[in-house]
Amino acid sequence: MSFEPEFEKLVKLYYRDLYRFGLSLTASEADAADLTQETFYVWANKGHQLKNPAKVKAWLFTTLYRQFLQTRRHQTRFKDEPIDEMPADFTHVPAECVDRIDAQTLLTFLGQLDENHRAPLVLYYLEDLSYNEIAGTLAIPLGTVQSRIARAKSKLLQLLNETAKPPPKDDH
Amino acid sequence: MTTSEAKQKLLLYRGPVDDSDPQFRVALDYAKSDAELGLWLRQQTECYDAIRAKLRGIEPPLGLSQKIARRRPILFPRDWSRIGQLAAAILISASVTVLLMKWSHRGSRGVTGAQEIVVTGEVLDMTCYIAYNLSGPDHAECARVCIRSGEPAGIKTRDGKVYLLTGEPGHSVNAELADYAAKVVTIKGRPGMRDGFAQLQVEEIRKL
Repeated sequence: MSFEPEFEKLVKLYYRDLYRFGLSLTASEADAADLTQETFYVWANKGHQLKNPAKVKAWLFTTLYRQFLQTRRHQTRFKDEPIDEMPADFTHVPAECVDRIDAQTLLTFLGQLDENHRAPLVLYYLEDLSYNEIAGTLAIPLGTVQSRIARAKSKLLQLLNETAKPPPKDDH
Repeated sequence: MTTSEAKQKLLLYRGPVDDSDPQFRVALDYAKSDAELGLWLRQQTECYDAIRAKLRGIEPPLGLSQKIARRRPILFPRDWSRIGQLAAAILISASVTVLLMKWSHRGSRGVTGAQEIVVTGEVLDMTCYIAYNLSGPDHAECARVCIRSGEPAGIKTRDGKVYLLTGEPGHSVNAELADYAAKVVTIKGRPGMRDGFAQLQVEEIRKL
């Protein structure tokens, strides 16, 4: 097996998804590019240890997330949060409102979310991963993933809703 | 199931990607029979799709993939059989070294614990003897001065073997030996060998 074509093929296949994930986590293009590069360098050194080729994508996302946590020096123990405690907030945002904002505003809103809630929410939106796969990628329990996504989604929709509101009328 | 309970369940529903997830099944069935819930669900998934499209529309900087590929680490293939051979060679080499050191240490054993021997021969000023081959009565005065001044002293037996004469650790015997310079004496002591040099730790001197 030739290493170089395999590496380049893998980069071409996943660098966009990883960059978007990194950008959503950091809200910084430079940091996202660094995280993406670092992830592939870790793959170049340790990728051969992965026994199941079908899990390459999940492995890359997990690695990027770990790199992100390392750079932030913010590794915390994850407490399981029962899904029953999810907020019963059914905020609705029309799709047109989302269409009106630009990607940078959306990234700014994501940046306002709790760091632990941001990663599962971004994977929820960006990737076609099941909840079990998101839990596996981030190494947190399934119930915690779902409750964090629900909380983060609720907060994001609130922020989008406030943006969508028309400005208050001037009575004067 | 109520509409509110169904909404609670479907809050995380994304569309076709979650259709096979059993946690949504009952609530989805309920939404088919509840028009209001069905509308809410459609708006939810449209909102999801809009946010997803917005995020997926972000493009990485130009040239990022080429940069990653260009700066990739160059790895050397690992031949585990060769690594094993190298490890075995290092292990064998270390073992042989330890054995040799033990053997060498035993061969250069000091005087501690050695059996006492008695030798008879001429007391030498070792510096003059080794450097200039000077010994015997003609050299007696020089030898006496040299030994007294601290130069190494020795004894040459009748069969030609030479020992460096030493005292106990920290104790010089030069003062006692100086008077016997170039004379034949019998010395009782403990022999030792280091790096090819024979020595005798003096315990008793007897002039013949």
